[in-house]
Amino acid sequence: MSARIPDILRFRGPALRPFLTLAVFAIAFALLPQYASGEVGTANIANVFTSFAGIGLVALALGLTMIIGEYDLSVSSTYLLGGMLAVKTGGDSPALGAAIAIAAGLVVGFIQGFVVAKLKMSSIPVTLGGFIALLGLVYVLSNSKSINYSDLKVTLKLNEPVLTVFTERSLIAIGIFLVLAAVFAFTWLGRDARAVGSDRKAARTSGVRIDRIVIGTFMSSAAISCFSGALLAYSLAYATPNRTVAPLVFATTAALLGGVSLSGGRGNPLGIGCGVLCLAILNEALAVTGSAAYVTYLVTGGLLLIVTVVDAPHLLRWWRTTKAAENLRLAFAGRPATGARAGGSA
Amino acid sequence: MSTDLATAPTGPGPVRGNPRVTRETAIRAAFYGAIALFAALVVYGAVSTHGFLTMTNVRAILSSVAFVGMVAVGTALIMISGNLFSLAVGSTAAAAAMIFLALLPHGIVLAFAVALLMGVVVGAVQGFLVGGIGANTIIVTIGAASLIQGVALWASAGATILPPKGDTSFAWLNGHIFTFAVPIYILFGTVFVLDQFLRRSRFGRQLKLVGENVEAARAAGIRTGWVVVGAFCIASFLFAFAGVELGAFNESGSLLIEGTQTYDAIAAAVVGGIAISGGRGSVWQGLGGAILIAMISDILLLRGYSEGIQILVKGVVVFAVVVLARLNRMRAES
Repeated sequence: MSARIPDILRFRGPALRPFLTLAVFAIAFALLPQYASGEVGTANIANVFTSFAGIGLVALALGLTMIIGEYDLSVSSTYLLGGMLAVKTGGDSPALGAAIAIAAGLVVGFIQGFVVAKLKMSSIPVTLGGFIALLGLVYVLSNSKSINYSDLKVTLKLNEPVLTVFTERSLIAIGIFLVLAAVFAFTWLGRDARAVGSDRKAARTSGVRIDRIVIGTFMSSAAISCFSGALLAYSLAYATPNRTVAPLVFATTAALLGGVSLSGGRGNPLGIGCGVLCLAILNEALAVTGSAAYVTYLVTGGLLLIVTVVDAPHLLRWWRTTKAAENLRLAFAGRPATGARAGGSA
Repeated sequence: MSTDLATAPTGPGPVRGNPRVTRETAIRAAFYGAIALFAALVVYGAVSTHGFLTMTNVRAILSSVAFVGMVAVGTALIMISGNLFSLAVGSTAAAAAMIFLALLPHGIVLAFAVALLMGVVVGAVQGFLVGGIGANTIIVTIGAASLIQGVALWASAGATILPPKGDTSFAWLNGHIFTFAVPIYILFGTVFVLDQFLRRSRFGRQLKLVGENVEAARAAGIRTGWVVVGAFCIASFLFAFAGVELGAFNESGSLLIEGTQTYDAIAAAVVGGIAISGGRGSVWQGLGGAILIAMISDILLLRGYSEGIQILVKGVVVFAVVVLARLNRMRAES
């Protein structure tokens, strides 16, 4: 009964790919001192886990929606919102601030998920509205300024090293990844989520409650994203409104590197974790070599374009068959090659 | 129909509570009600806001429409082509502003040309990735935005670009003709020409077909890749043009110049009623949406609301409009 063993544990097939990618990144990083100036030690590994904790959960949040075939643009706003709410309400009790951030995420996720599921809408226009509106809300809450967090004890505690390379906050982030990975591997939720992502009609026919999965995923995604913002704000001791889509760029790249596909139906939390670690290693490599800020933009943007192109439907088909080459020809030449069928006529 | 009979009450009297009819009526009522409410709100806001109905304010609104309209029209083209929207609007505009100001010492013609060429080139690359190999628009455009910002930071070494001292070659861009700013005339001229082009040319008809159903368009022998590349090139050209105007207006160029251009552009195209699923809409609608968005911003500004509230309201409006458009579609299909 091999079917009872989850895919991830069998370490075969596409589920293995993110781990291989991570291994390549890790080996390249370890070899870095031989090719460039700079040292690599345990402090760097600690930094890698710190940046993993900083933004890894946003990648997880976005990745979950990508697995069910959606794309939640609003994660970069919920991330900011969570931080702002936590800093403003968690002065006396950090747990209360985090709870409020998570509650806000659940509400936002419910509204967006409900609209996407019940009105059968594409998630991009819906979450675009959410993205802009919540960004505005963050500016309103913060009065367009950075807000400091008063309880420095919390900040120090979260950043305290544990076992040399970890900190409390990186352990929290890793813990959430592992819990979700377990949920995906050992319960029907992961299977259903992938089913919803790959073929919604077939999933419905086989008894998957699509609406519940979609709404539930949006709620957990927004809650994780809000919590991630809260965690970051506590550990930096401030929250700041910021309009860049940098978190979105990072999260998308990490998810795609982690074996999630934009077309949905593929991927799991462990893979996404590997993708995040790859990017965290890359960031650390850029820091070790003392690269300027623009290099980070170029590398992250370039990497995102590369993984997107690799993930692109026509290119993937091109790789496997010659059909996409035909599609590309059709797209630009307008005529099918002699003897070939016109691809995918509707 | 059998379903109607099955669900109709069996007792005497008129058929009541037909679920299909009531649902349809409810959707229709919600749709028109919301539109009426929205229009009433804007009109009320406009009339009751002190200083709204003055010539100075109308001029101010039109000045901001001059920029937002340009990027909204570009976004409209991408949306009509069935490829959602670009998130690289602001970065493209900012980069164009920086190139324009940096090259001014070599003459305004060269500065203009290089800035616009940059727009066309980055548009062509994004169009190729989206239309040619089917990559996701949102991700291609955020990746492109990141790359553009990286190059701009590298080339400018992080500094703000200022025009040469005493250079007045671009002053005409900030001038006025019959009390209105020059960019407004440029905008209306552009929209008119573009609209005629889309109506009369083969490209315009192909653009709508590609947006409506790309597979069908491909089967019909349309070079869908070129059409999408064309849409992105024109759109990105317009983003760059708006950037040049913005750079000339501010007399400085940096990445910060982008402000809320990207969101305004998308909000304007959506509010203008262009179908986000593609295939329907005209560039005039993009302009109409831009005027509405500029009016809303202006009302909020005159009433002393912060930038945050302005962004928040735009987001809520986008959310409401896409949901209403969907309800309207469901009504039409039911």
